[in-house]
Amino acid sequence: MSTSKRITLQQAAEVVKNGSSLTFSGFTIWRRPFALVYELIRQQRRGLHLIEVNGGPQTEFLVGAGCVDIWESCWVGHELYGKYGANLSRKVGNKEIIVEDYSHAEMMFRFSAAAQGAAYAVTQTSLGTDIHNPEYDMLGRAGKRDGKKIARHKYVFTIDPFFDAGAQVMIPAVKVDVAILCVQQVGEEGTVRVNGQYYSDPEAARAADITIAIAEEIVPEEYLRRNADQNTIPSFEVDYILECPYGAHPTGMFGRYDVDGAFLKDFYACTRTQEGFDDFAKEWIHGQDHMSYLEKLGWPRMLKMKANSAMNYSPREKKGGK
Amino acid sequence: MSEFALPEEYGLADLLCCAASREVADNEIVFAGTGLPMVAIMLAQNTHAPNLKLIFEAGTLDGRPPELPTSVGDARCEMGASRSSGLNDAFSIAQRGSVDLGYLGGAEVDQYGNVNTTCIGDYLDPELRLTGSGGNPDINSFAKRTVFIMVHEKRRFVENVSYITSPGWRVKKWPGGEFVHRRELYGAAFRGGPSAVISTAGVFRFDEESGLIYLDTCHPGKTPEEIHGLCQFDLDISRVKGETAVPTREELRIIHEVLDPDEIFIPRVKKG
Repeated sequence: MSTSKRITLQQAAEVVKNGSSLTFSGFTIWRRPFALVYELIRQQRRGLHLIEVNGGPQTEFLVGAGCVDIWESCWVGHELYGKYGANLSRKVGNKEIIVEDYSHAEMMFRFSAAAQGAAYAVTQTSLGTDIHNPEYDMLGRAGKRDGKKIARHKYVFTIDPFFDAGAQVMIPAVKVDVAILCVQQVGEEGTVRVNGQYYSDPEAARAADITIAIAEEIVPEEYLRRNADQNTIPSFEVDYILECPYGAHPTGMFGRYDVDGAFLKDFYACTRTQEGFDDFAKEWIHGQDHMSYLEKLGWPRMLKMKANSAMNYSPREKKGGK
Repeated sequence: MSEFALPEEYGLADLLCCAASREVADNEIVFAGTGLPMVAIMLAQNTHAPNLKLIFEAGTLDGRPPELPTSVGDARCEMGASRSSGLNDAFSIAQRGSVDLGYLGGAEVDQYGNVNTTCIGDYLDPELRLTGSGGNPDINSFAKRTVFIMVHEKRRFVENVSYITSPGWRVKKWPGGEFVHRRELYGAAFRGGPSAVISTAGVFRFDEESGLIYLDTCHPGKTPEEIHGLCQFDLDISRVKGETAVPTREELRIIHEVLDPDEIFIPRVKKG
């Protein structure tokens, strides 16, 4: 009865179609599924609709490579390695991309609603801000609100009918075709064990129609089932699995490796122009595969970022700020 | 040897960090974002507020990081924490009303404490798109008090921000967009609002009834008139209490020897 969920990076990228709506595991510069992000760029996927609780370097790579038509989220940058998303910023300025802004909690609650099978969530966050300005409904302005994949309204304002708690805002559940997770361990049947903060991964996996889990290691399912209380996502919510060590690089992974801050700094500096991004992509993405990418990075660099197994981070990696 | 450091012994970042640290009381539940706020809150944990409960947005609850994290998603956040979970927990706790204080930043602030981190210029045709809101409006909507740490430049202290990312004391009521007091809009969820702006020039507070910002203390070497000239609105300087308290030598030792020895967020003063 059990059919293997294992696929290759190339096959995983093919699960994402032109025009798919897509989300990722992780948080800003942690646990982003980079090996697959690079493969989507190599395969020249187009017209993607990214729906992210928060963005990060993965957003900047996909946007820079021209893969993204719509970005729905609340934040993009590289934390202390690059203060904003320069590719997104440039494309917003040139009106080459649609950006729909929600607040961070609103994005989280929209994923929670989708994960519950609810049509919408209701909250009191961000009342009185321009995030709720009706003029700034960018998907509405673009005529994209079909009431199918994209909600008919960005917001609906209401008043608490139950307890007189005052103004409320209803926010639509997200509709996500594919969630791509990057985690420490996945079992052969799809059970995921995330170590450390799990961010919004369980909601992302449950909200999406298809979930792909890229793991540092595929482990015997039986091993994970010995301590089911430590598992994060149940087997049946994961459709495809693949093993891809260091698959989150240049972002970090709790217990395995730190963020490659120098790489992100270099990348951010290059993204000030489209030509700069194109050159970076030519060097690090096109004509490469995951193994040749790791080879190019080299052992000494990767060992410096390797986490100490007692501390869960690398005491060697100088975090390199000011 | 006096308790307070001499002017040549500390930098502006030290002063901001210590001023921010003093905003928190012991036993409070605090949300801290990436950067200087993190150092400030960990300084408080190491001095006057050892029992404060620290929440990192990415999912760390009651954190006591042994080493400075570089961002709230960092593996360093959760070492020693009461619980490591995710954003749904962190934001639910905030909406539930449990958070006393949040530390935030911004590109622009206005006379009502509204903050912009989204774009410079017209949203529909921006001069520069910035990072976006992140959790800034969420923490600011739900915490009892919020403290903003900002670079002080005249272009950043404006009458009205070009885009309200994070709600101050007088905010827009949609669909019309007319300004109303925050209390009127938030109903049962009203718990407070911005309580201080700590800029590189001084410390500002708010008159909660009028919603207007006023100057509370000037950093050493700055005059109220000078700071008035650094705002695009008519800053109230009638309530100035004096100078911002400078760092103590013990606070400087903790910042540079314990919390941020690698100068990730706070550079050491160059010894002249």
